[in-house]
Amino acid sequence: MSHRLDFATTHATEFVDITDRIRDEVRRAGLRNGRVHLQSLHTTLGLAINENEPLLLHDFESLLDRLAPAGAGYEHDDFARRFEVPLGEPANGHAHCRQLLLSAFATVMVEEGALVLGRWQSLFAVELDGPRQRQVALQLDGEFARRDEKVSLEALVELELARQLMVDPEPVAAPMRRLVEAGGKRLRPKLVQLTAGIGPRSDPLRAAELAAAVELLHNATLIHDDYVDESTHRRGRPTVAAAEGPERAIAVGDYYFAKATRLIAQIGNGGVTSALAEALESVCASQIDDVAMRGSYPGDRDSYMRVIRGKTASLFAAACESGALLSGAAPDVVQALGRFGDLLGTAFQMADDMVDFSPSSGKPVGLDIRQRVLSLPLIYAAEDRVVGPEVRRLLAGALGDSEVGRVAELVTSSGALPRVRQEAQHLVDAAVRELEAVELDGLRPTLVGLARAAVDRIS
Amino acid sequence: MSVQLLDRELDRLEGLWSDGLAETYGSYLDAVVHFEPDVQPRLALAAALIESGVRLQGLGGRAAPPTTLLTGDLCLARGSRLLADNAPLPVQVAFARAIEAASAAAAAEQPAPDLRQLLRQALGATR
Repeated sequence: MSHRLDFATTHATEFVDITDRIRDEVRRAGLRNGRVHLQSLHTTLGLAINENEPLLLHDFESLLDRLAPAGAGYEHDDFARRFEVPLGEPANGHAHCRQLLLSAFATVMVEEGALVLGRWQSLFAVELDGPRQRQVALQLDGEFARRDEKVSLEALVELELARQLMVDPEPVAAPMRRLVEAGGKRLRPKLVQLTAGIGPRSDPLRAAELAAAVELLHNATLIHDDYVDESTHRRGRPTVAAAEGPERAIAVGDYYFAKATRLIAQIGNGGVTSALAEALESVCASQIDDVAMRGSYPGDRDSYMRVIRGKTASLFAAACESGALLSGAAPDVVQALGRFGDLLGTAFQMADDMVDFSPSSGKPVGLDIRQRVLSLPLIYAAEDRVVGPEVRRLLAGALGDSEVGRVAELVTSSGALPRVRQEAQHLVDAAVRELEAVELDGLRPTLVGLARAAVDRIS
Repeated sequence: MSVQLLDRELDRLEGLWSDGLAETYGSYLDAVVHFEPDVQPRLALAAALIESGVRLQGLGGRAAPPTTLLTGDLCLARGSRLLADNAPLPVQVAFARAIEAASAAAAAEQPAPDLRQLLRQALGATR
């Protein structure tokens, strides 16, 4: 399988990192095990495998400059002695000599669909006489995935998450890998992938990259939240803060916050970057409100709605918007999907609150109560004419096992849970209505199914 | 920096301005002079928020208490949003890599890189 990689350079000497583009070619071609052969199609463009560290790249430039300085009396630059010199021929003897010091070829092995590169290795096209338009020839050979082999959207995200974690330093990658491998519903990446299939520029691989970045961003916020909430377990495993201490949790959260924002930016769609950056800001601001509200626990419905719209729904909305933006969907479709995500995220959080009172959820009943986490059933129970006074009295004091158990009993015996369930279902209905007026290229049933399932888990 | 920009971008973080953020902001102004005039204060503030946010969190040192961590998180998120809305892609990427470098060093219990220097370099990133 052959291909050409086109790119423009912007500097006289420039190290263009083409690793991600080669990875994309490998994935697009479905190469499982084999080799990628690269060949520069220019006499002043080299290829190299080395570390993408800006100061080191500067060292390389300096080295090339010392070994073959520009204007050092190259015979090639003496146009009077050459035949058939084209108009505009540059004096670039130094660039040809530098290319001789590099290589015009590179071969990279591929195993299990991934480039075999060391942790610090990147693949560079080395511009020696730029800026110019350049081309590198590629040939891929080996064992390819069968053309009829359908890779699911879920599998693409899992592969992308694994790929990203593989290249990270172990002190940050190991805790994040444990969290990722512990599961989770992956609703946000699913929303990205589904909505990325709507517009005319649908590209499942780019969508999977964005979806994985959104999941990493979400997980980064969870790692900090778990420290703030003093949670000991998440997805059935010890939290990073509990297992490795708050210092490590802060570092891991920060690393993946930064990495996710970088991956999102590198996708190169300003609308996507802004939508997700705004959502992240909402998440962080609302987390502050959430903690502040614990002073008047359990709070009231208006404050609850404000917090969960910022803390949960904003990322759902941004996931939907960003997928649609990536696919080039029309503005009215992007806006409708944003409203769909906002309503769905709110409903999802309400459903999540109810799980705390379900003995069959797999989580200890009353965990949210114990940690004084914002919860709509609790707010409604506290407002209830019959059980409210006792709920409020219990919540005002220390919460041991018996108090938590009693509060859970009171919430369950009140009408709070059916009321929250009904409210969540109404929100899902409203979310579904947002999809009715726009063209979704046949994806409406899938989105509706996903929305219903997000709330049905508590029916 | 204009009063309007201050009001909007320091919402919920007002106390930080007199508590060192103003000084940190000032230390980046000379690193943004090559940007358009209207973008300069936004990028200097983004860098200052990120530097202050990381310091508030206690990254690489003793962990901040939860509420302080959350303020630090908001600083990072707002700085990141300011970059997303105002900075060219190479600058956004360089900022992210600076935070990655600082947090990876903290996780590995290695000496922290000079974050201000990294962020100032990031403001000059062109590729």
